[in-house]
Amino acid sequence: MNQNTRSFLALTKASLKMYYRNKGAIIFSLLIPVALLSIFGFLSKGSGSSIQIGLTNHATGELPKQFVETLKNIKAFKIKEITEEEATAELGKGNLDLEVIIPENFGAIENGKPITSNIQTLFNSAKPQSGQIANFAIIEIVSNIDRKLTNSPSVLSVKSTGVTTNNLGYFDFILPGILSMTIMQLGIFGVAFSFVAMKASGALRRIQATPVHPLYFVLAQATVRLLVTLATASLLIAFGTYIFGFHMVGSYFNFAIVAIIGILIFLGIGFAIAGWARDETQVAPVANLIQLPMLLLSGVFFSRDGFPSWLKTITDYFPLTYVSHGLRKIANQGASLAELLPDLIGMGVWLILIYILAVRVFKWE
Amino acid sequence: MPVILEVTNLTKTYDNNVHAVKGISFSVERGEVFGILGPNGAGKTTTLEMIEGLRPISSGEVILDGIKTAEEPYRVKQRIGIQLQASAFFQNLKLTELLEMFADLYGSTINSLELLADVGLKDKANFLVKNLSGGQKQRFSIATTLVNRPVMVFLDEPTTGLDPQARRNLWELIAQIKSRGTTVILTTHYMEEAKYLCDRVAIMDDGKIVALDSPDQLIKQLLARGFKPHVEVPPATLEDVFIDLTGKTLRD
Repeated sequence: MNQNTRSFLALTKASLKMYYRNKGAIIFSLLIPVALLSIFGFLSKGSGSSIQIGLTNHATGELPKQFVETLKNIKAFKIKEITEEEATAELGKGNLDLEVIIPENFGAIENGKPITSNIQTLFNSAKPQSGQIANFAIIEIVSNIDRKLTNSPSVLSVKSTGVTTNNLGYFDFILPGILSMTIMQLGIFGVAFSFVAMKASGALRRIQATPVHPLYFVLAQATVRLLVTLATASLLIAFGTYIFGFHMVGSYFNFAIVAIIGILIFLGIGFAIAGWARDETQVAPVANLIQLPMLLLSGVFFSRDGFPSWLKTITDYFPLTYVSHGLRKIANQGASLAELLPDLIGMGVWLILIYILAVRVFKWE
Repeated sequence: MPVILEVTNLTKTYDNNVHAVKGISFSVERGEVFGILGPNGAGKTTTLEMIEGLRPISSGEVILDGIKTAEEPYRVKQRIGIQLQASAFFQNLKLTELLEMFADLYGSTINSLELLADVGLKDKANFLVKNLSGGQKQRFSIATTLVNRPVMVFLDEPTTGLDPQARRNLWELIAQIKSRGTTVILTTHYMEEAKYLCDRVAIMDDGKIVALDSPDQLIKQLLARGFKPHVEVPPATLEDVFIDLTGKTLRD
C-alpha cells in the first residue's frame, strides 16, 4: 500500500473512532432535527394532513357536478361546500388552504359551443405550500376538462395526474428543509469546532511532527464528516418516512447527489472558519454570522415567495437556498438533475469559491 | 564519534522583525544526550523546530543524518521522533490505538504493548490520554516518538511541571533511550537534570549560544575564572530530603 494511502486510512480510522465514541455529540446532532421534524410532523397531522378546500358552486349542470366529484375523489383534499363570505373568513383564520369558486356559466353551452369561463381560486398566504399544491391540482383538472371540451389531444396529462395524486402536505415540504439545515449545521459548526479544538490543543501540530502531509489529515476529517452527515441524513429520512409518512416523489439517488454537494460546500465553510480561527472563541460568532441569515432567509421553514423582491434576489444566491431548493424539487416534484441545472451551477460556483477561500485563509497554528 | 547533526549559522527572523535565533552553530554526536539550556524566550524551541523541519529556516543550514532539513523536511521527519512542549493527542482514543496510528503515519509496524511496557505504561494500554497523570502523559508522549525507531529524538522540556518522582523516572527513561544508541536532544530549565542526563549542553540567551561544553567542563571553567559561591552549599538539598522520604520509585 502506498504510504500516503496508509496514512490517510490510519487518520480516517482514528477520526471515525474519535467521532463515534463521543456519544453526547452524536445524540445532540440528532436531537434538534428529530425534535423539529416531530413538531412539524405533529402540526401537519393536526390539520388532518390533507389540504382543506372550500368550495362554492354557483353553476348547475353535468360538467360542474363532474368537476366537484373529481375534486372530492382526491384523497389529499378535504372539500367543504360553503358560501364565499364564509370562505373568506375561514381563509383568514387559516382553517382553509384554498377556496374554489365555480362561476354560474361554468360548462354552459352557447350556440353549440362551450363558452369561456373562469374558475376562481383564492389561497391562504400563510400556508402557500398546500394552497399552491392544491391550486396546481385544480388547474390540471380544469385543463383536462378543457381539453375534453375542445377535443384537443391530451398527451401531457399523464405525468401531471401522477403528481396531483401524491398526498403532499406541509411535512413533505419541511423535511428537505430541515435536512438542508442539518447538513449545514453539521458541516459548519461540527467541523469548525472540532477542527479548531485540535488546532488549539496542539493535536494538529503533533500530526505535523510526523512525515504525513497535514492535507491528508484535513482529507481524513472531511471524509469522516461526509460519512457521518450522510448517515445522519439517512436516519432523518427514515424517521420522517416511517413516523410521519414523508413522500419522496423523485429519486433517492438524485437526492443523495445534491445532498453530497451541499455537504461539501458546508464542510468547506467549516474548514475555512476553523483554518482562519485561532481558537474556539473566534469560531462561534463567525459561524453564527454565516448560519443564522441562511437559516432564516433560505426558505428552509417557509417559502420565500412573500419576500420583497430585493431580498428574494439576494437570498436566491445563498448556498442553503440552492441546497434546500434542490432537495425540495427532487423530493416534492420529482425533478431530475437536468431540471436542477441552475441550482447545480450555483452550488458548483460556491464549492469553488469556498475552497479557494479556505486555502487562502488557512493557518496551521 | 561521528556527527549526526550539524547546525551552521542558523537564524530565525519573524515577519515582525523579531530575531528569535541569531546565527548559531553547533554539532551533535551520534549517541549523545545534548541539552539546550536557557531562560524563556532564549530561542530554544524555535531552534528545535527549525531543526525538526516544523518551522521554516530564515538562513543558515541544518544537516541531520546527512539530509538537509530545509530541502527534505519530510525525509528528516521520517527519521526522527519529536516530542512537542505541549503534547496533545486525539481524544477518545486508547493508548494502543494512538501508537498504532502514529506507526501507520511512519509506515512502520510496532508491538504497541511492548512499546508501552518500555515506558512503564503496559497496564494503561486501554486508558485514554486524558485519564493519565502528568508523568504518565509525558512518558506516553515519548513512546509516540519511538514508533519509527528514530535515529534521534527531540524532547522539548520533557519534565516541566512534573513532581520530583515523575521527573527522576523520566530521567531513567531518557537514559534508557540513550543506552539503545539513540541520540537525544532536549531542552530544560532544570540544571540538575542537565547535569544528570546531558553529555554536553549548549546554553542559549537572547537567540545566541553563550557556552557549549560538557557540564563538568563548564563548571570547571567557571571555577577557573575565580568564581566563589555566595553561600555555603549544603551537603544535601531539600529535594534530597523529599526524595529520601517519599522514595524514588514512581507512584502515579
